Amino acid sequence: MKYAFFLGCVIPTKYPQFEAVARKSLPKVGVELVDVEGFSCCPEPWNFKSYNIMAWLTIAARNLAIAEEAGLDILTLCSGCFATLAEAHHILEDKPELKEEVNKRLSKIGKKYNGTISAKHVVQVLRDDVGVEQIKKSVTRPLENIRVGVHYGCHLLKPSETLRVDDPADPRILETIIKPLGAEVIPYAERLSCCTGACQDEEMIFKFRYNKLQSLEEAQVDCMTLVCPACFEAFDLGQVMLNRKLEKKFNIPTLYYVQLLGLAQGLKGEEVGVTRHKVRSPALLEKLN
Amino acid sequence: MPKIDLDFKKKLTRVEYADFLSYCYQCGACVGDCPSAKLSPAFNPREIVLRVLLGLAEPLLKKDSIIWQCTTCYTCQEVCPQGVRPIEVITALKNIISAQGMLPDGISASVGIIKDTGRVVLVSEAINKRRTEQGLTELKPVPMDELNKIL
Repeated sequence: MKYAFFLGCVIPTKYPQFEAVARKSLPKVGVELVDVEGFSCCPEPWNFKSYNIMAWLTIAARNLAIAEEAGLDILTLCSGCFATLAEAHHILEDKPELKEEVNKRLSKIGKKYNGTISAKHVVQVLRDDVGVEQIKKSVTRPLENIRVGVHYGCHLLKPSETLRVDDPADPRILETIIKPLGAEVIPYAERLSCCTGACQDEEMIFKFRYNKLQSLEEAQVDCMTLVCPACFEAFDLGQVMLNRKLEKKFNIPTLYYVQLLGLAQGLKGEEVGVTRHKVRSPALLEKLN
Repeated sequence: MPKIDLDFKKKLTRVEYADFLSYCYQCGACVGDCPSAKLSPAFNPREIVLRVLLGLAEPLLKKDSIIWQCTTCYTCQEVCPQGVRPIEVITALKNIISAQGMLPDGISASVGIIKDTGRVVLVSEAINKRRTEQGLTELKPVPMDELNKIL
């Protein structure tokens, strides 16, 4: 299973620990990550799409064309990159006149997107292409006694008509790929709520994040896990900022799914970069090591 | 008297995926599940679509417009029985604000970084050092000549 590894912007710059652990843990389940040159920002589906939809679509099409030239489907760790690339692919297939217009622009740099590849989020690759059995086989140290609260975020699942990953009202994909790692997935009230990455109102952002963290705390999780760097920033750095405003202090460490995978495959907490996070929990590290 | 722009609707019906707004029958399903509407009663996707339909969208077309409270979570699109896609209506409105040079400062800065460097985060020496420490290669610059030609 070979994929063009689409790094995006935020993971390789702010959170390279996720990229590093992906490069170690994904080959162990049969995924080969190919580095293809020339990719740019996907571009991100909040601010850049607000700026100009056509510019957003054109840059996305250039990225898709680069992977297509290499003859590979795209694998990305980021829900934002996934949403942009999968949605752009869908739009170009759905609207031939837009595809023509975009390809006219791409012809200026000798590129063309034919629409023969797909962009996949790593969790989709793990569920659909790798499979639960293969994940289970790679586990050398099951994460027993680890209570995980799952955060789906929005752009992995919605718009479901376009992305077709899972039912956004009752998704199961993360539970499906966490179970073989041996960890216990704990349900909590705010499981499907948003990280508020794109909202521009600070008061609202704090309230959203407070509700989520409060709900996780009540569910007595050891950590939360998620699959998007924007969501990670919202609940790691965001939790520190929220704590500064509050009387009480939340201490809910946030782990990227691939970090959980790496840990279950025998890597130590330091090796998957947990110690680089803002919110740390000695109790969790002890449980993990 | 509020300013009524009778042709405003046409601006949006020409935008791909924002062009279903005439199907809206104002049921409010989009409001019930909207996370922003729960915290800020002034943010109301049903009302935003209605304002566009009636040509009363002017108050929405500002740097500090209520539409920037949208989290772009797409829940409104999931629950709409008419396939209206309120979020695409909101994105189209944001594009109009953008064309008038009135994007909020944070968003404008973020867009500027992408237009200048091809990435949404500026790559510094410190970043490449942190990458090398973790056994990763340094990030190469994005071919900006290509991006500039297609934009």
